[in-house]
Amino acid sequence: MNKPVSIDSIEPSGAGFRSDRSLRHETFATVVVVIALIAAMEITSRYVPDYIMPSPLKVLEAARKLFFQDYTHVFVTILRLIAAVAFSMLLGIMFGVAMGMLPAVRPYLRALVIIDTGVPALSWMLIAIFWFKDPETRIVFILVVILLPFYALNVYEGIRALPKDLLDMVESFRPTRWQVMRYLVGPHIVQYIFLTTKSVIGYAIRMTIFAELIASAIGVGSRMGLAHSNFQIDQLLAWTFFLIALSLSLQAAINAVEKHFMRWRPELEVR
Amino acid sequence: MSAAVIELAGVRKTFGSVVAVDDIGFEVARGEIVTLLGRTGAGKTTVLNMVMGTIPADRGTIRVAGVDPYLHFRELRGKLAVSFQNDRLLPWRTAVENVELGLLILGRSKEEAHEIATAWLARVDLAGAEAKYLHELSGGMRQRVSLARALAVDPEIVLLDESFSQLDHVTSQTLRRDFTRIAREWKKTCLLVTHRIDDALEMADRILVLHVPASVALELKIDPAVRADRAALRQMHAQITAAMGSDEGQQPGSAAAE
Repeated sequence: MNKPVSIDSIEPSGAGFRSDRSLRHETFATVVVVIALIAAMEITSRYVPDYIMPSPLKVLEAARKLFFQDYTHVFVTILRLIAAVAFSMLLGIMFGVAMGMLPAVRPYLRALVIIDTGVPALSWMLIAIFWFKDPETRIVFILVVILLPFYALNVYEGIRALPKDLLDMVESFRPTRWQVMRYLVGPHIVQYIFLTTKSVIGYAIRMTIFAELIASAIGVGSRMGLAHSNFQIDQLLAWTFFLIALSLSLQAAINAVEKHFMRWRPELEVR
Repeated sequence: MSAAVIELAGVRKTFGSVVAVDDIGFEVARGEIVTLLGRTGAGKTTVLNMVMGTIPADRGTIRVAGVDPYLHFRELRGKLAVSFQNDRLLPWRTAVENVELGLLILGRSKEEAHEIATAWLARVDLAGAEAKYLHELSGGMRQRVSLARALAVDPEIVLLDESFSQLDHVTSQTLRRDFTRIAREWKKTCLLVTHRIDDALEMADRILVLHVPASVALELKIDPAVRADRAALRQMHAQITAAMGSDEGQQPGSAAAE
């Protein structure tokens, strides 16, 4: 039976985000799942042809070759991803702040963002091919139009959630609009920016790969397309594992940065 | 006492059909500590908000340091500071960074602000707590940080809105004494709002007891010698209680005005 939870049993655990115990438990669980998946792959590979499921060792060998031979594609994809996410974040924050702080333009920007959320990603990808010649511009454009609404709407919601008490307190010192942004709104929306980035990073990786598959001749997405055309499933799986590793690494990196910036936030733990 | 720093004359404020403040008028002289005392819903905070300049009066005149605080909001920059009922500390800033806030807004350099803020934290008995975040401070400590934040900008006028009412009796008493000592030492003009008679008797030079809706029902000047005279204090207490209780004309729903 579950232990009853009382308010007395909720206690701040200090400045950390997660306790060491829960972090160890999560790491252990991840390792167990990875080992189980590799074992399942190995067993399946013994009963089906290679073009359906190669053995993990074959995939590892393919990954090694790709890492040493095709690393340019990896760097290109990572650079595109970082540039596009950073640009989307910047534009999205600007949209969100404008929506939150400028009532006159709010309905127009909000309508624009809401319409954007209704356009399918595939439409943007195909439109980008018509509109832009340069593959880099295409990919950045695709990522920006897809990710911008996430940042804009979350930042806007963050500003709406700003406690009026705190705004009144800051305003009692008669600040300029810029000072309200700098000392109150900016720090307050940081948590919303991290939340959005953590939520969209996996999606951003998928969209980058998809955009590369459709709109570019270099990058991991285009290599995956090539592997598919050549029936090289070991390469396809090697790229897939790389993308999983990339996603996990980026999540870990974002968590580490967030932990630093949000060190003021206590974590409540239920015993 | 020199000329009035805060002046209200014939001020009225309504919220819809609720009259929150009705024809109130009073003055606070330079260096004076005046308490607005009234029951919950008496419109005390509304009066304070109008003095702060965050809401306009419907009628009458308000002058703070010679200007209308609502129309000339920015002109009171650096001259007026407020300590609120709850501490209103920014959770992402440490104790010392919270005290620095007003100083940075007023254009002091980071180093200068840090130096002044550290000194103020020491003055409110929080030396050593500079690097602590909000969740690492007790309620009393947070309220001290809030007071230090208001006083650190060296304002001519300090407004206190029930700043000690959410604390336990002992902490509240210690903080009241510390604040009164600092306010007198630094010759601050203070307008305090409270519903607690003991707080008012202990801190104020003058008490304005408010009716519901806010208008001055009784004005009492507190001689420092009276504070040691228990019989005189009891008599004042009774006088204030009677004035606070006589709320003819009280409107239903007037608590919304608070």
